[in-house]
Amino acid sequence: MSTASLPRHIHVELQGHKGPVNVARYAKGSAKYILTGGQDRSVRLWNASLGTEIKAFNAHGYEVLSISVAHDNAKFASSGGDRSVFIWDVATGMTTRRLAGHMGKIHVVEFNEDASVVASGSFDSTVRLWDLRAQNRAPIQILEEARDAVQTLHVDSTTIIAGSVDGHVRTYDLRKGELRSDYIGHPVTAVVPTQDSQTFLVTTLDSHIRLMDTTNGKMLNDFTGHSNSSYRCRACFNHGESTVVIGDENGMVWAWDLLDAKLLQPNPPPKAHNKVITWTEYHPSDAGEMITSSADGTCKVWRHPT
Amino acid sequence: MTSRLKKKLGDIGVDTSSTRANENFCLIGTPLPPLEKSRDTGEFVPLWKQEVRDEKGRRRLHGAFTGGFSAGYFNTVGSKEGLMDPQTFVSSRSDRATKKATKPEDFMDEEDLQDIRDSRKIVDTTDELDLASGAQAEGQDQTGVDPLTTALQSAMLPPSKDSVGARILKKMGWRVGQGIGPRITFKQRRLQDLQASGSLSAGTDMDTSLDEESEEANKHTYAPRDTPVLIVERKDNSHGLGYRSGMSLNERLGAKGGGGSTSMGPKIASGFGLGALNDADEDDLDIYEGGSSNLRSRLAYDAADDHDGETISLGKPKSNLKPVAGPSTTTHGTFRDGRAVLPGFLLSAQSVMEDRWYPLPDIPPGWKPDPKRVWSQSQGQANPDKENVKQNDSMPQEKWKASKLSAAERGSILGETPLPSAPRSVFDFMSQKDRERLQNIAASLLSSHPLMLPPRCDNPHPRTDPQIARAALGGFQPFPSNPVKQARYRAYLQSQANVDSEITLAPLPHQSIAEFNSEMEEYSQSAIVFKPMSGAMAGRFTSAAVVEHGPKVVEGLHTPSFTESKDSDAEQKEKEKEPELSPKEHAVRIGMYGSLTREVKPWQPAKLLCKRFGVKDPNPEPTTEPDPSTHPQDPTSSAFDSSAATPSMADIGIITSSNVGGAGSGGPRDLANVGLGDDDETQGRDTLTYERPSVDVFKAIFASDDEDSTSSVSAPVVVPSAVAPSLAPAPPDDQVVDINTFKPTFVRREARMAATIDSEKKEKKERKEKKEKKKRKVTVSFLDGDDEGGDSLNVVVEKPKKKRKKDKERGKEKETKVPATIDDDDMWVEKQPVTGQVSHVDSEMTNSTPQGAAATEMPKGRKRAVDFL
Repeated sequence: MSTASLPRHIHVELQGHKGPVNVARYAKGSAKYILTGGQDRSVRLWNASLGTEIKAFNAHGYEVLSISVAHDNAKFASSGGDRSVFIWDVATGMTTRRLAGHMGKIHVVEFNEDASVVASGSFDSTVRLWDLRAQNRAPIQILEEARDAVQTLHVDSTTIIAGSVDGHVRTYDLRKGELRSDYIGHPVTAVVPTQDSQTFLVTTLDSHIRLMDTTNGKMLNDFTGHSNSSYRCRACFNHGESTVVIGDENGMVWAWDLLDAKLLQPNPPPKAHNKVITWTEYHPSDAGEMITSSADGTCKVWRHPT
Repeated sequence: MTSRLKKKLGDIGVDTSSTRANENFCLIGTPLPPLEKSRDTGEFVPLWKQEVRDEKGRRRLHGAFTGGFSAGYFNTVGSKEGLMDPQTFVSSRSDRATKKATKPEDFMDEEDLQDIRDSRKIVDTTDELDLASGAQAEGQDQTGVDPLTTALQSAMLPPSKDSVGARILKKMGWRVGQGIGPRITFKQRRLQDLQASGSLSAGTDMDTSLDEESEEANKHTYAPRDTPVLIVERKDNSHGLGYRSGMSLNERLGAKGGGGSTSMGPKIASGFGLGALNDADEDDLDIYEGGSSNLRSRLAYDAADDHDGETISLGKPKSNLKPVAGPSTTTHGTFRDGRAVLPGFLLSAQSVMEDRWYPLPDIPPGWKPDPKRVWSQSQGQANPDKENVKQNDSMPQEKWKASKLSAAERGSILGETPLPSAPRSVFDFMSQKDRERLQNIAASLLSSHPLMLPPRCDNPHPRTDPQIARAALGGFQPFPSNPVKQARYRAYLQSQANVDSEITLAPLPHQSIAEFNSEMEEYSQSAIVFKPMSGAMAGRFTSAAVVEHGPKVVEGLHTPSFTESKDSDAEQKEKEKEPELSPKEHAVRIGMYGSLTREVKPWQPAKLLCKRFGVKDPNPEPTTEPDPSTHPQDPTSSAFDSSAATPSMADIGIITSSNVGGAGSGGPRDLANVGLGDDDETQGRDTLTYERPSVDVFKAIFASDDEDSTSSVSAPVVVPSAVAPSLAPAPPDDQVVDINTFKPTFVRREARMAATIDSEKKEKKERKEKKEKKKRKVTVSFLDGDDEGGDSLNVVVEKPKKKRKKDKERGKEKETKVPATIDDDDMWVEKQPVTGQVSHVDSEMTNSTPQGAAATEMPKGRKRAVDFL
């Protein structure tokens, strides 16, 4: 049960953004570092265990809405209100590419496994797939099936999953050459698949989190109790994928058991942030660490009390 | 003839020098010179053989060894004077006397001479029409004078360069230098001179200076003075007006008598300079200089000699009035309010104009303003007018309609004699019985179709151009919130798009003709407005991806939850709307996620994307066979054809031929789906008709590497009776291959035969395989126990493995290499037990009704075996 219980002890608090923090992502590998992007147009790199700010990446002209880190931690991509995807070199802190083409703000950006392609989903209801190998700056392909803003993307080795405000989760299967669109019925803000990609977790704006079956589109579980009706919140699994975690609009972090969809104690949970929690992410390898970022301008690293 | 042509002719075997080749067929005009003699000047000469020559025929460019680009002193290389063969120096000292003096022009070349000529040119350099030479040319044409004489003439006579006006004036007696006008006396002329020179003020001594010369001069009349050409100097500096450079301070202040202007020498012509020692000769003076000080040089004689003036003046006489000298404050006066006028201003004698006032007209006594009277009057005038107009307009039509009298009847009433050759109707030749019978039939028809009773005008609605209608069909649909209207709009467009379509719109039962006409008008207008852009503009805009679908679609982040805050009326409405929800939304509402909410479409990832992801391209060939169900842009095959038989069609007044025939094929289509299918392909489409993925997917999953073709052996095993009855076999027209997408591949004959014979069976096999695949995945998936078909899954999962084993064994036995196309044949031939199939269908049947309806449509969307060959 210790693995199931959430880390609810603040390890460090990352303060430095002057405004809401929109996204906080772990670096790849051993994930010792955190990248946060905020409304103050900056991307900041933090040491997760010490809580020190290592670097600030300033090139965006608008808010930063999404960050994706490449597999080798050498570069990351960020996007936001300035309608282009920025590819950064982490060491130099300079942008190596700026991929323009979207007609609206880019809500989400995601690398593929070997960071040869970056996918970006935008308010203009398209997903653009950009090639990072070639010099060509035009997108490889534009996925225009969505009828409303694309809020979330997940790219793995063979599929691209896009969640849109039109209430659909669209799975583009490259191997089969087919598009499976699952109608959820409510604006989708986050899609997080499990490790085996047999199921995926869909966060929607009707304060529900649904666990959907990838193969047939059936709903396996429904998690409710939190409040999420107008902001982008992100539900994720814990390390062992036994728990579903979300930080909601009231600044509380909720957790459910995956199988029986029961709320874990404490219920109701204590307030973790003063404002809406914009991003919740579990440490990819450490079972006892997670991060939340909030509109109150902070990003918090949670651990079990030692 | 060119050398090339000659060569060609020579190659052919024609003797170019023979008379036949050079035969002349020229009857009119000058024949071309014969072949041998002429060299075509336009003939191609390679660049290095071309020669550049100047206007005198000298070679212009010389090679590097002969002097370079432009060799010698002005290209004299090679000529007699050329520097390349230096002449021996001969002293001219001895014959200096014999040598005439050289002028600068002797040392000038053409360009310098041209410069001088240009600098001497008068201001007007435009070429004048040469009338005389033109006449000459005409005369030459007419009389055919020897060209030699004309050449001589032109050489001898000086060219006339006068303008036409000048020539006419000359003929009238005018000379160069004279003015235009009647001749005047000496006195008058002198006066003119004085006026022109501006020294009239000094005319006090004019009378005294009359001397004896003038007596003689008075005896003659003179031509008037030439009017000096006023050349306004261009002001290209930033000095003030009247300032000249070099002005002394005194001059600047206005005082006369600065010696600057007198010391200035005469202007020298700019052609070529004078030497330091040369004096300015008269010839060197620039007589065309615009300066006004040299006016006298234009005059035939000295103006100072002129005497007694008479009061004749050309142009505007100079006013003798001097400006008011020494204005004093006393003359200025004061304003009316006593304030003094500013110095330098004068009080105007005239007062400022005032507005004129007119007296009021006389009002009759006892008159009171009463606007009501005026209004009532005007209304009273307007109303009878309107009525009259209405009556006039409507009377005849209605009367005719009401009386139902034919022209012949009316004529008989009026007592007219019928026209002798009146066109006779067919009915006139019929017997009375037949006519009655026809009338009966007509009456019964009319009574059975009360809808047809309203008089249908032949062409009541405005026509829309077929092209526009066709474009508008694919374009934006303007009435998404009103499905009936939308459907009618589409029907209208279709009726307009193809002229011979059987779709016609009838007015709705509760609609009057006028309303119907206005509706048609609206449709035609919106067709013009909403047709998509074409041509170059089309690429610049993209149509909105989000279309307003009325109230029921919930989009955007901040959606008010409208279900809770509705009162009872709204709830009732909600209940009415409930059946209009698409099956998908309905499923979501009751939480039945799964096959109802899932939609699977083929999707073609870009080739490069597959490469980057390290995935094999799922459809390497271009996609085959345009599937009608996947083409939303085809307007005719969309919602209308399939939904023609639904009862709602008759309700909304769309009459199609198929509607009349009553051919029922449609599924559970409701009004909400009608007409919306084109905008949103997800709507109105049954969720269960899914696309079969391409062969390669199956190949990738099922086909092992060493599989070989044994389809012909195992194919006959298939028992057709094993097919589940719910799946009707596909229609037998599947031999038709699309020419556009057909690709010949090499397949062994027996395999192909087997494929064609057992195509239907295989098709079902494919379907089964597909389902099995799905089910197998289900077993791996998250919640296994919940699945309805769980018990049958075990059977299904095992089957393919067995088959693969068998195949492998076979492959080991034969060890033959077979083209890959056959592999997908033999992976379907194995017969499958029906159990899994049936149970699956059963499980499907337990679902809600729309699904069942969709199941009947399944065979339509499937691909046939032929397509995979």
